[in-house]
Amino acid sequence: MALEKREQRPVAEKGEHIIARHLIEDENIKEEKNLVIDGVDVSGRWNTFVLSRVNSEFDRSFFQEIKKTVVGSRINRCWQCGMCTASCTVTPLYRRFNPRAFIYMMQLGNLKELKKYIDVAWRCVGCYKCSQRCPKQVNPAEMMEALALVVKKYFPEEIATKLKLDEEVKKIYEDMIIGHGRLDLAKLHTSAMQKSGRIKELLGKIERDAILKMAKDGRAFSILRLGKPHNWGKSKEAIEKYLKNINTIENSGTGGLNG
Amino acid sequence: MDKLKENQAAYYPGCALLTIDRAYNNSSKLVSKKLGIELIEIPDYNCCGIGEMKSKGAASMYMPLRNMMIAKNRLGSKNLIMACSVCYHEFSRSIERVRENQDELSDVNAIFKGAGEFDEEFVPDGEARHILEFLYNEKGVDEVKKNTVKPLKGLKVAPYYGCLYSRPSMYTFTDKKPQMDNSERPRFMHEFLEALGAETVFYGNEVQCCGGRNVVQDEETSFTLCSQTISKAKKAGADVIALICPKCAGALDVNQPKIVEKFGKDSELPIVYLTQLMALAFGFSKKEAEFGDMFSKPLKILDEKGF
Repeated sequence: MALEKREQRPVAEKGEHIIARHLIEDENIKEEKNLVIDGVDVSGRWNTFVLSRVNSEFDRSFFQEIKKTVVGSRINRCWQCGMCTASCTVTPLYRRFNPRAFIYMMQLGNLKELKKYIDVAWRCVGCYKCSQRCPKQVNPAEMMEALALVVKKYFPEEIATKLKLDEEVKKIYEDMIIGHGRLDLAKLHTSAMQKSGRIKELLGKIERDAILKMAKDGRAFSILRLGKPHNWGKSKEAIEKYLKNINTIENSGTGGLNG
Repeated sequence: MDKLKENQAAYYPGCALLTIDRAYNNSSKLVSKKLGIELIEIPDYNCCGIGEMKSKGAASMYMPLRNMMIAKNRLGSKNLIMACSVCYHEFSRSIERVRENQDELSDVNAIFKGAGEFDEEFVPDGEARHILEFLYNEKGVDEVKKNTVKPLKGLKVAPYYGCLYSRPSMYTFTDKKPQMDNSERPRFMHEFLEALGAETVFYGNEVQCCGGRNVVQDEETSFTLCSQTISKAKKAGADVIALICPKCAGALDVNQPKIVEKFGKDSELPIVYLTQLMALAFGFSKKEAEFGDMFSKPLKILDEKGF
């Protein structure tokens, strides 16, 4: 199926059978083709050893920073059982997307390690299977939002390159939701296509058929009538004021509105 | 606006239902009216935030709660009914969070005060209700059975609940609601469809995600997930897939031509809303239920089956 085509499990020379192999560096794995210990032949996959790492550079301030946010307020509860990764919708598609490991890295403040996963960090689809099954009510689905905040604050250059489209689409959403109070789905679709450089696709047969169908049955015009909630300007101001005065990482470089 | 009368309920349409998913909106209203509840749209509603606002602290909770305030102030209703699962999730999340966390409640109230639209403070005493769960609890399966005049005999339906209708239970299954669905294996839609005379099929992807959230940034994930769901339902012998969320419709129905183009004919199956099927069985015409609005052409199979 398409899944296998997309991202193969990292085929490593060493420790190939380790689950979540991507979390371990190559040089930290010891594997011998032929090995005899105390007269017992342990050749083959039974002699895979993982060298222990020492990480003494804990940054507890980082942990507190996440705990202060709404989405990351339960980070202290996680005891690393891995139920979130086991039930994740995205993990089978992107092997390197591992919510348990992301939460662990955030708990330790291990930015060096987090940086390696920036390309998959925002792939959460928000299906909440993890939050449903989490035995400690950590709410990993919302923890992934906290992860996005962390990435936003500490890796702005990666945001501008690897996550450019995600950031731009998010900004379209936010501008529309806060600015207009309602979501114009047609505008969202066209501006997202434009941002991702696929404006030509809008003229393709499938898109054209859809637009024609909606113009025919009148739905295209109901979008024009959607309008704004009465008095939304006041709410907009209040929300913007709140976002400006918030003193957690929720207020970090989110572009036009409060940046 | 006048306060609600008996047999009326406050209804939050949301952005999608008033535009491209009007089939769901209109059929929900038709069905509820037939069952004896008139859905009254709240005035001046605003977007719930559709999950894109979550990392914005209390602002993410202000968005849905403003609508709760409108329902209470203008229509005199503590509870608010909605048909969209994403809206339902956002509303339940916000209510549950401010109920549990005093700091977040005061943050939200500070925004309310700043906006100055309402005189009183927000008190989390109401509930968000999903239309499926609402009709099940308030009217029940027997009432649906009684109103069925044109049973959907011989139609095999694959019920698709999606993610946010039943998950996570810490937000949606509060003890203030009468009876709640099972979060891992929901059954309310199954019971409704069987009451309509249709046959439900088991296909294993009932609560799987459609990837609708990232559909603009990450089409491939969404297409892969959708193609799995559709092909599994097709293999199980389903004629149509029944939905209860407009976001799922965006991923499964509107994008279906693209999915078929990529994954082949296995991923082609008509998609309808549950309320459309209910309207059909309750004696409304196919035109009234607006089956023609769907992109996956359910009219063909319905004509073949003779409904």
